[in-house]
Amino acid sequence: MSVVRLLLWVALAPLLPGLINKVKAWVAGRQGPPVLQLYYDIIRLWQKGVVLSTLASPVFVLAPAVAWVAIAGAAFLVPLGPAGAGLSFHGDVLLMIYLLALARFCTAWAALETGSAFEGMGAAREVSYAVLAEAAMFAAMLSLAVQSGSVSLSGMLSPSPGAGTVLLAAGLFIVLLAENCRVPFDDPNTHLELTMIHEAMVLDHSGPPLAVILHGASMKLLLFAVLLTAAVLPLRSLQPLAAAGALAGGVLVVTIGVGVAESFLARFSFRRVPLLLTMAFLLCLFSLLVAWKGGAA
Amino acid sequence: MAGTLAVLVAALAVLFGQNEWEWTSNFVLGGERVHMRLDGLSALFLAIVSVIGGAGAAYARDYWPDSEYPASAARGRVWWNALLLCMGLVLMISNGLLFLIAWEAFALCGFFLITLDNRRPEVRKAGWLYLAASHAGTLSLFAFFAMLAAHTGSWDLGPVRDVPPALFWLALFGFGMKAGFFPCHIWLPSAHANAPSHVSAIMSGVAIKMGIYGIVRFGGWLPLPASAGYVVIGLGAMSAVMGIAFAMAQNDIKRLLAYCSVENIGIIMIGLGAALLARAHGNAAWGQLALAGALLHVWNHGLFKSLLFFGAGSVLHATGTREMSRLGGLWRPMPWTAGFFALGAVAVSGLPPLNGFVSEWLIYLGLFDAATTRSGYAWAVLPAAILFAIAGALALAAFLKAGGTVFLGASRTKAAAHACECGAGMLAPMGLLAAVCMLIGIAPSLVLPAIARATGSWNPAWSSAGGAPVSTIGPALLALAALVAAAGFLLWKKAGANGLRRDLTWDCGYREPTARMQYTSGSFAGISLGWFRWIFHTDFKFRRPRGPFPPGSLRIERFPDTVLEWIVVPAGAVITRLSNAALGLQHGRLQAYILYLVAGLATLGVFVFLEGKL
Repeated sequence: MSVVRLLLWVALAPLLPGLINKVKAWVAGRQGPPVLQLYYDIIRLWQKGVVLSTLASPVFVLAPAVAWVAIAGAAFLVPLGPAGAGLSFHGDVLLMIYLLALARFCTAWAALETGSAFEGMGAAREVSYAVLAEAAMFAAMLSLAVQSGSVSLSGMLSPSPGAGTVLLAAGLFIVLLAENCRVPFDDPNTHLELTMIHEAMVLDHSGPPLAVILHGASMKLLLFAVLLTAAVLPLRSLQPLAAAGALAGGVLVVTIGVGVAESFLARFSFRRVPLLLTMAFLLCLFSLLVAWKGGAA
Repeated sequence: MAGTLAVLVAALAVLFGQNEWEWTSNFVLGGERVHMRLDGLSALFLAIVSVIGGAGAAYARDYWPDSEYPASAARGRVWWNALLLCMGLVLMISNGLLFLIAWEAFALCGFFLITLDNRRPEVRKAGWLYLAASHAGTLSLFAFFAMLAAHTGSWDLGPVRDVPPALFWLALFGFGMKAGFFPCHIWLPSAHANAPSHVSAIMSGVAIKMGIYGIVRFGGWLPLPASAGYVVIGLGAMSAVMGIAFAMAQNDIKRLLAYCSVENIGIIMIGLGAALLARAHGNAAWGQLALAGALLHVWNHGLFKSLLFFGAGSVLHATGTREMSRLGGLWRPMPWTAGFFALGAVAVSGLPPLNGFVSEWLIYLGLFDAATTRSGYAWAVLPAAILFAIAGALALAAFLKAGGTVFLGASRTKAAAHACECGAGMLAPMGLLAAVCMLIGIAPSLVLPAIARATGSWNPAWSSAGGAPVSTIGPALLALAALVAAAGFLLWKKAGANGLRRDLTWDCGYREPTARMQYTSGSFAGISLGWFRWIFHTDFKFRRPRGPFPPGSLRIERFPDTVLEWIVVPAGAVITRLSNAALGLQHGRLQAYILYLVAGLATLGVFVFLEGKL
């Protein structure tokens, strides 16, 4: 069962960036790349050779593997509606957040291996903005924990609709955009600009490690989309089939939302990025306060 | 070495056995019998003293050898052993007067160890600052123990009931000065940066824990003021965020590590504060989780911080500089040191599957559990948890900066390019500490009985091993470690099979990248430091490039300690000025002295006269 679950995560994840690109193409009136483009890219990269920087240590190749395992482990902990999580225990939410942090550490470490100014910049931005994103994430998870009275993901993600849920959804959506380096924080379409975050960090990767990085990034996007959906929709109270449909529909809506946001927004200037993240944090904080006061009333 | 091994065995025997060890001798010192007791709590601290003490002694053989430091090497060994002995005594003595004596001796040993290399003026300055701060704390402890003895009528230490709760504040300040939480940390960065690295390791990994021991110990014994939990948790959260923000700003790698100790002390105090809060409100189970996390973090921080200081010491030994902007690319000449340092960096950032994660996870779990109760008194855990999360993310950034700038990329100077790996005598202690860090990470259930015993001796209601959460996280972390290793191996094989080729780092098609084009530690920290401008008072020097052929430009930023240079030093200056003004009274003119006498007598007379009237 747990193998099937992991395979599902691994197989479906690269679909999301393809869908986002398709949405963007439709909005712009283009045909756009096929939805399965990322699968082709990953398969092609997996068969290619590797060019290593003369400065890089073997860790440069190992770090993407560690990051991928960490993201897959975090995905394994996220419950899928009535199907529950692959592994659920008291406090698994903290393990999930810290696994994502481990993935970030590995990616940024590998970026610093090359001694490139671009990659140093990307790493610095990634870890700095993560400070605010993590604060928002903790506020969001605290508000879910306070609302449900549980500290495990499968217990926490049983929301009751209310004003807090709307705030939480808005906050988590911004965190999703920031953590996955989408517009307005970063532009996944550009390569090699001084203003990038994630793409700048992985400039020097090639071959199988790059394939692993791309796949890990898509899995992280799917993870955040599932988390956002499960934090808003009461999946556990539905029939299994209906819940699966609702989950898939929710993820689809989030994906289309990302695509639409990317079509209509330009990337923010870097000075405004912390402001937007602070707003996400405040949204999550207010939802936490609503949850806290809701219990007292 | 043999001695530390024996002490370790004794401490572990108490931790994992059932008995407490108590010994009262007939030997009388200062009018008091020597009375020692080793219970679960002191044994926990004693174990880390012995582990780091042993590892540091082994490290010092190669790091501070007789051949290079003929004057101070032997002196260092003597003071090292004296320091270990005094810390052991502090942990075991159960008599207020003798505790003070041992405490003072411990502080003095620390002073002599910090100033081993006493020819350098900055070392002497750091030593004096340490001594002054340490005595400010000891003064408060003198008052504390004296008032304790006055209220109980005996110097014996133990749980007491009929003393004013305000005494706790004296203990908190006195021990806090040693523990170095923000803003009592003023002595810590310079002392830890300027001491020899093995001394920094034991000062940062173990000696400041003596302050924590004092706070934990008397937090358990004294009747507490109602606000104690809130104050401790607040100080902890402030210390965690401020400590790591200052760490992020440093360019000196040992100063960075020292400030990170301030952060970790803050983390321990968050856990302790939550425990105090829980105990004040009916021994809620989440308090036990937080306390277990805090006590485990005492061990973990001791282990990985000593590992990191040893690593920094090896770098200093090999290159002769602590400035990160002069290092870089050290993984090539020093692969083992780099590997151990990286492991320590992962552990100190609290990432799974290493030991730092286990203890931070327990503290978080305590805070989250407290939040789910929605009790009116538990509100303090919400800001604490969020600030803790911010500190954790900043710690990750700070250690990426440290590890990345020192060990990765290209060498920035010749010294860094020509470094060579240190000997086995220095690598072995690092390897040992790294192994223990991994072991506690993937098998936390092994140390759980010890922690449960310590929480039980702090609060008898919490002696049951709150081990259910730990026994679930352990296998998960073990599986994670195994998967990480397997995935790394597979990807390496795959990349090798597809063919590996080496080429220059890609820099927009520019074929001649130089080491000076790398991102520096200052730029790396720039974004997050901008958010803390309000607390930094940065010294800033900037010479712009001018004209068509600029002769050279520079930009220097220094981040002095705000508390020290903007609060303590000005306050000290005011006191000095007042004292100097008072000095004017003493000028050697006999007539004036007689006038003082007469005036004093007259005033006294007036007082006595008025007293009689009233």
